[in-house]
Amino acid sequence: MFLFNIVKKTFFGVLLSLVVWWVSGAMHFPFVFQVMFVLYVVLGVTVFILLDAPPLKPISGGFAVLGIGVFYLAISVFFVGGATVLPQYDPNVEKGKIQKILAPRLAKTEYGKRLALQKQVDALNQQAESIMDRLSVIGGTAVAAVGPVTVDSGPLDLASFGDDHVAAGKEVYNLYECYNCHKLGGKGGTKKRGPHMDNLGNILTKELIKQKIFNPMAFYAEGFEKEYKKGLMPKKYKELMTDGELEVLVTYLATLKDTSVKTPKPVFPE
Amino acid sequence: MTRVRAIASLTGLLFLSAAAAYAQVPDPQPVHLYGGNRTWTWVAAQLHILFAAFILGAPIFVVICEWIGMRGKDLRYERLAKEVTKVTAILYSMTALTGALFIFVLLVAYPQFTSWFVSRFSPIFAFIYPGLFIAETIVLYLYWYTWDDWQGPKKARHVALGVLLNIIGTTTLVVINGPTSFMNTPARAAGDVDMDLKTFVFEQASVWELVYNFSWIPLNIHRFIGNVVFGGFIAGLIAAYMYMAAKSEEDRAYYDWMGFIGNLIGVGALLLLPFAGYLLAFEFFEYDASIGPYMMADQLSMFFELQGALVGLIFLASNYYIWLSMKRIEGLEDARGTIGMPLMMILFPIVMLPALQLAPLYEAVIGWPTFFGLLIATLVLPPVIARIPPFRKWTVSPTIIIKLGFLMVIFGNAIWMTPHAFVATQALATHETELPDVGFIIGAFAYSTSDLALMPTKNVAVALIVLVTIINFLIYNRAIRRGRIQWGKIDFVSQFVLIFLAFSAIYTMCLMGTVRSLVRKYYHVYNVLPDFTVESFTPTLVYGGYLWIGITLVFYAVVSFAIWVSLKPGAEKATAPASAQSGMPELAAQAK
Repeated sequence: MFLFNIVKKTFFGVLLSLVVWWVSGAMHFPFVFQVMFVLYVVLGVTVFILLDAPPLKPISGGFAVLGIGVFYLAISVFFVGGATVLPQYDPNVEKGKIQKILAPRLAKTEYGKRLALQKQVDALNQQAESIMDRLSVIGGTAVAAVGPVTVDSGPLDLASFGDDHVAAGKEVYNLYECYNCHKLGGKGGTKKRGPHMDNLGNILTKELIKQKIFNPMAFYAEGFEKEYKKGLMPKKYKELMTDGELEVLVTYLATLKDTSVKTPKPVFPE
Repeated sequence: MTRVRAIASLTGLLFLSAAAAYAQVPDPQPVHLYGGNRTWTWVAAQLHILFAAFILGAPIFVVICEWIGMRGKDLRYERLAKEVTKVTAILYSMTALTGALFIFVLLVAYPQFTSWFVSRFSPIFAFIYPGLFIAETIVLYLYWYTWDDWQGPKKARHVALGVLLNIIGTTTLVVINGPTSFMNTPARAAGDVDMDLKTFVFEQASVWELVYNFSWIPLNIHRFIGNVVFGGFIAGLIAAYMYMAAKSEEDRAYYDWMGFIGNLIGVGALLLLPFAGYLLAFEFFEYDASIGPYMMADQLSMFFELQGALVGLIFLASNYYIWLSMKRIEGLEDARGTIGMPLMMILFPIVMLPALQLAPLYEAVIGWPTFFGLLIATLVLPPVIARIPPFRKWTVSPTIIIKLGFLMVIFGNAIWMTPHAFVATQALATHETELPDVGFIIGAFAYSTSDLALMPTKNVAVALIVLVTIINFLIYNRAIRRGRIQWGKIDFVSQFVLIFLAFSAIYTMCLMGTVRSLVRKYYHVYNVLPDFTVESFTPTLVYGGYLWIGITLVFYAVVSFAIWVSLKPGAEKATAPASAQSGMPELAAQAK
């Protein structure tokens, strides 16, 4: 009877999965969403099979302990599996960002200065050891082969971008994760959090962009009055960004002049 | 006078030597632990929180059970309260041990930050917290050791002691949540004072100003409810173990009932937890709107995806337990429900999903009164319709209602789990990976498939799951009242459901604790004190998954051991008075 029940519900589940797959495909859901919907059908079928399953016979003693152990193992595999199949954020992307943001701040602290000195000392020690090794093994000619000590400067150095302030500004845009609220080039942002940036250069002057970043309550984008009143744009950038970072960011944003995308006009509250 | 001068000189000398010794101590440097400093801190902190959650959460319902037992002369409640307290008393020492471990790991892994943090909150860490901990220790052991003596006329005194224990415990929770929440949302200078955050936090703010920050109250509420949920499910776990080990019908009947109560407490409090969670997330968002996308759209978005799956499974499991529990009720079909209940389950998502999608029209066209009118109508109309004569005769079997409930839970969870795009961060979302924007109109309502990823939709989905669970409990309650429940005769698989519930609750706690901590990004104190160590990045979900399972298994092993030691069959029964035993044969008789 139970077997028949399983067959019946599985058959129904397969039919429903096909319908769900076809309908979601027709509505242009991406493949992974289709898989998710079908998985929910599978879950539903499993639940309904379990609902009418015959009672489990009681177990006790060693069998109960074994049963619990196997059950824990199964749940553990299932839960870790769940965490594994979901998309994983690559920590290296963030590590690079963190290094760029924090390294300049670390360099300014006493601790950072000490670390930099320690690094230099280590490098010099290493060089000295290398010289001694070479002298002792192959003689004096090897001394010339030992290169100068280079210490990794580490911090984000805007100067490394040279005169390319636009590239530097783009870097700052990404580091401060402006894309989380603003769409640019069809990427980033979620619905109704911040306006699209694509045509910002035609809408705002550099001064206004600067003003908005450091003082978000100065004005708002047309159609974003509710978000403005909620104070969605964080006020923290005045404290977090350096003047140099602001300057290059504004330079970059001012170059965005894609008229095919609607970037809303500013509204100045009275 | 000479003596006073001598004492003063000696004190001064001691002070100077201490200062000289202090001056000779070099700045503490972090020790690099094998496996990573953050990982060890993570494990120690999470284990401590799990034990602390249980010893704070369990006494809340223990004292309520004791009180119910005293008032209604129901000895089952008395026995439940005492058995859970016995396990709590054993696990209390583990809380202290893991707390010490946590502090030592912090001192080794992050010595500079820890010393600054402790000194910044010195009144709390030096006096208030240890004082409360000592007071709680004294009261907990007093509560346990007076259990047998303070019976009969002294019982009310014992219950009062339990209430005092809870007051101290909850105060401890609230106090320690101050520094914890401060790390997430450090307080800014109030009013019009133009002072940057760092200056305020480092130099100006009083300890109270630091404690009374944006997320303190919501964290208190969330953790308080969470602890009760946790305590309830662990009580269910105790019941499951003991049911499996029970040698007599009497014990099986009792532990079956205890599992039912544990599930009731766990799920009852769980119904409130999503809303408390929203409140906490909302306060994070209010504090700094960029935290919102970081959690829901950026690095942590898939953590919330996993949370949706886990909470969905917990609700499914608890409803399955109700189902199994109902199957052993004699006369179940006498508890037929009206068409109001299934009607409400179906009507709720149909009306509320599009109603919430009209968010931009709230103020302009619909307005909040209309919205709430719709909500109330959805909840009130079905029962009213069910009472109108033509429909009054239409009744629905409880099994059909619960089966429909399962469908709605799965449907609600599928909506909850539908993201904007299945990508590690929404910044990587492209047109090909995003939800399609297919709109369709039914009557006065407009739907769009892209709305599935929005928060209002998630709110409706969660509310639907909660609503279904409440309806299921109402049906269950009606079935118990009209039928005859056979305690001790529940399907054996239900014990695995109880174990699953406790396990999932612990794993979810580990996951969400991680999320709360990661919200600080690469800061020890958000936007104030950067974490310069190499481990300040967001770990991958799978790395977290392995750690959470490891922590859960260690916690489970310790709790299982504590249950075995304190309640193992053959050991002295935890039932306080010998007379308490006499309540059990009634259950056994029912079971026959």
